[in-house]
Amino acid sequence: MLQINHLEKIYRTEEVQTKALNNVSFTVQEGEFVAIMGPSGCGKSTLLNIIGLLDEPDGGTFTFAGTDVTHVTERRRAELRKTHIGFVFQSFNLIEELTVAENVELPLIYLGVGATERKEKVQRVLEKMQIMHRRNHFPQQLSGGQQQRVAVARAVVNSPRLILADEPTGNLDSSNGNEVMELLTELNEAGTTIVMVTHSEHDARYAHRVVRLLDGQVVLENVRV
Amino acid sequence: MLKNYLLVAYRNLLRHKGFSFINIAGLALGLTACLLIGLFVHDELQFDQFVPDGSRIYRVYTQQTTTETPESHASVSPMFATTLKQEFPEVEQTMRILMTGASLNLLQAGEKKIYVEDGLIADSTFFGIFQLPFKYGSPTGALDGTSSVVLAEEVARNFFGDVNPVGKELKINSTTVVVKGVLQSGLDKFHLKINYIIPLAAAQLPQQRMSNWGWQQFYTYVKLKPGADVRQTQAKLRDYLTQKVQPTLSENDKLTSVPYLQPLHEVHLYSSSFKYDSSVKGNITYVKALGVIAGFILLIACFNFVNLATAKSMQRAKEVGIRKTIGASQQQLMLQFLSETVLLTLVSVVLAAVLTSLLLPVLNDFTGKKMAFDLLRNPALLGLLAVLTLVVGLVAGFYPALVLSSFQPVKVLKSAVVTDGIFGRVQWLRHGLIVVQFALSVFLIVCAFVVFQQVSYLHNKDLGFNRDQIMFFPMRGENMNKQYETFKNELRQVPGVVAASIGYGFPGDQVAGDGLIVPTNGEKKEYPTTQLMVDYDYIKTLGLQLVAGRDFSKELTTDKDHAFILNETAVREFGLGTPQQALGKTVQWPVWNDKNPDSLKVGKIIGVVKDFHYKSLYDRLEPAVLQIFPGAYWKVAVKLKGTDVGSAVEGVKQVWTKFSPENPIEYRFLDDNFDEMYKAEDKLKSLLWVFTGVAIFVGCLGLFGLATYAAERRKKEIGIRKVLGADVSSIVALLSKEFMVLVVVAAVIAFPLAWLAMSRWLQDFAYRIDMPLWAFGVAGLLAAAVAFLTVSYQAIKAATANPINNMRVN
Repeated sequence: MLQINHLEKIYRTEEVQTKALNNVSFTVQEGEFVAIMGPSGCGKSTLLNIIGLLDEPDGGTFTFAGTDVTHVTERRRAELRKTHIGFVFQSFNLIEELTVAENVELPLIYLGVGATERKEKVQRVLEKMQIMHRRNHFPQQLSGGQQQRVAVARAVVNSPRLILADEPTGNLDSSNGNEVMELLTELNEAGTTIVMVTHSEHDARYAHRVVRLLDGQVVLENVRV
Repeated sequence: MLKNYLLVAYRNLLRHKGFSFINIAGLALGLTACLLIGLFVHDELQFDQFVPDGSRIYRVYTQQTTTETPESHASVSPMFATTLKQEFPEVEQTMRILMTGASLNLLQAGEKKIYVEDGLIADSTFFGIFQLPFKYGSPTGALDGTSSVVLAEEVARNFFGDVNPVGKELKINSTTVVVKGVLQSGLDKFHLKINYIIPLAAAQLPQQRMSNWGWQQFYTYVKLKPGADVRQTQAKLRDYLTQKVQPTLSENDKLTSVPYLQPLHEVHLYSSSFKYDSSVKGNITYVKALGVIAGFILLIACFNFVNLATAKSMQRAKEVGIRKTIGASQQQLMLQFLSETVLLTLVSVVLAAVLTSLLLPVLNDFTGKKMAFDLLRNPALLGLLAVLTLVVGLVAGFYPALVLSSFQPVKVLKSAVVTDGIFGRVQWLRHGLIVVQFALSVFLIVCAFVVFQQVSYLHNKDLGFNRDQIMFFPMRGENMNKQYETFKNELRQVPGVVAASIGYGFPGDQVAGDGLIVPTNGEKKEYPTTQLMVDYDYIKTLGLQLVAGRDFSKELTTDKDHAFILNETAVREFGLGTPQQALGKTVQWPVWNDKNPDSLKVGKIIGVVKDFHYKSLYDRLEPAVLQIFPGAYWKVAVKLKGTDVGSAVEGVKQVWTKFSPENPIEYRFLDDNFDEMYKAEDKLKSLLWVFTGVAIFVGCLGLFGLATYAAERRKKEIGIRKVLGADVSSIVALLSKEFMVLVVVAAVIAFPLAWLAMSRWLQDFAYRIDMPLWAFGVAGLLAAAVAFLTVSYQAIKAATANPINNMRVN
């Protein structure tokens, strides 16, 4: 599903050039659950942003579902994001002015889904995430675990083919963290491809395999945990 | 989608109450000022627009070619109407109104007697030119004959109640007239004030006068036939005067002016400098100035919005990142932010509409207008508000929307607080806008100070005579006019009366002009001179100062027919040397006497008075001559003692009743006449204060908001500085410096502009203050002080906060 070849990303400030990604290559098959690990600053998040079409590489190619998307327009990226990709962040990133249900509904609005269908889908996914009773609350009224469940609900509400999770348990205690990992595993078992960036060896065990990065380079791959 | 936008917008408004308040209050205040000014300007522009065929109606005025600066006179010779009607085929109709000055006439019906001003004496073609709506009667033939009158509705109601008075009799002074019609009320947007109109034929003016090109006593109107070109008519009229009229006139009577045809729609606003004009005048300069101020205030309010929205964008960045990650396009986000601004503007517009309805009565009271702000009955107004909402919302919201919607999710989602780097590029814009806001404020403050100074000068300048406590009224009734000497003597006996004078030509009242013949270098030359027809007590009553010679004296019998007193300007302009040298010189004056037009009064200059201002300070002092001429006496000035004015006035009233029991007394005080002259300036002054205050307040609201965000942004820096040993004052200075520099830049920009604008305004006054330099200094300091106070509140708050808390920001 994802084909990454010789990917490079360079950050430039006035005086210093930093290679965030250096000749990174790996593939992710449809239905796989892949964890990307490595120390802080190794380029994990940069890689995830490129996969999520939020950032562009400076070299190499990136193929998404058979299409070369290395250098497509911003409009096309937005299109691909909203139809195929769901995001889960460490800091949840819910919109504070919107209720739980409204936050989950948002991707459907941008997709142009009709109101009745939106309502149904939101209800279904909230029930699935066991957060239905909190549907009219605002994010700041929820616990961290609940917030992350809402974020996962939002990521999956339009049934994307790929979920990108950036340290999804980083801000959670262990029991809440486990719950979220169980959720992701369930989604993966239902057929969704998942790429997750994590620091946690514990979380990485949920994945089918681990890609380890160091200083912008892949140092180990295909390690089954 | 829109519902989602509005929902977020609404919750955002509630969440950031301070921000919302600043924006909404600023915009609402700005819009209120704009709406009020807009209503005023609209009302001024509506003058005479209701007159049918108004685009074909013109007023004849002349511009003097002999004066130093061109001087426009609204009253012209009666011959213009005659000539235009007879010689110009494109003229459909002409009409003249006799200039009578602001005189009161006693109207009487049955037992009811009321003094009424603003009566017109007009050609019977009046309603052919101005097709005014009638309540009773018909315009056809309403001014035919010599004994008809058309009344204004209010006057008719005063005398006859609510019944139709057509056919009933009315006395004007002692002449009986018949009511032929009643005009509908609501003529407040007509340039002529009408209480009643009587036909010109009733005045029975001698034919010799009506065919005189030198007697400039009429307001003259022309209606051209459809399709006629007014420029051609005007050119033809000028040619006619040079070719056909001038050759027939004697050397002394030659015309010294050029005629113009002024469109009816310009009479109200474009005649503010006209002399001998009694129409209801506006002033296009003031209308334009107010329009500009309204624009300024709205601009300041819009800038607030742009500034606060971009400053606050750090808080919205995360939301933008999330929405983009989920798949929102930049257009969708722009639309979202624009709809937020429009919503916010809508709230402000609604508030402004409420404020406007509440404040309009105050403005109406102040301007004497009857403006209405009735949204339900005026769909156009509602439409205008809708357009205003959209335009202000889009203008103010466009740039912030562009900035916000262009954020990159990768950059804004990562850190909890977005660093200032991304926002650096909007910093220059924010600073630029603050500079513009403060430049506008400083500009307005300087203008307000200069106008204040000039207006005080107008009111308080030493006019060369003592204008305080002088009671002033015209004589009425045959008995009083005949026995004016006895009347005056009895007035002087009243306790509390210091002196009394009877004459024609008192300061602040109408004065006559005529030629004075002065021998110069062996030749006799006639100079246009103000004629002050006085008695032996005039100089004493007004407290004029003699700089040479003596006052008129009753003991010297020659003073009555052979003595003149000049003012200093006359001595100078006639080339008579020093005041002392002028004494004893002979001058001549063609006596106002219909029986023998050639008779001359010959006499010697017996005195010279120090110049005194008998007209408004708009007018340069002119040569003036004082002489004893009882034939023209009709006004009385009574100087009262400062103490117990009330009983002195009572005493004067009693003497009046003795001499003229049939007429009630109508008096005023001389200084009121002068104060009245500067009413427009007084109003301008008040309006400037109010709107300058609004502009500064709205600007400060924005500055306060920005200072809040600046303090927020630099919290960590402040914490670190404090830990390193900075004290409160150095941190306040640090935070305030950023804004104070902007105020200084603003002042540097505003000063020359204010100087230019105010120099031009002052040019209109013949007597004016020097540009007050202190106004600039004080305006700059005031703006700086207001800015400092606004900013320092936030600065002190930030500086006194616990540094440890501040450093935990990141």
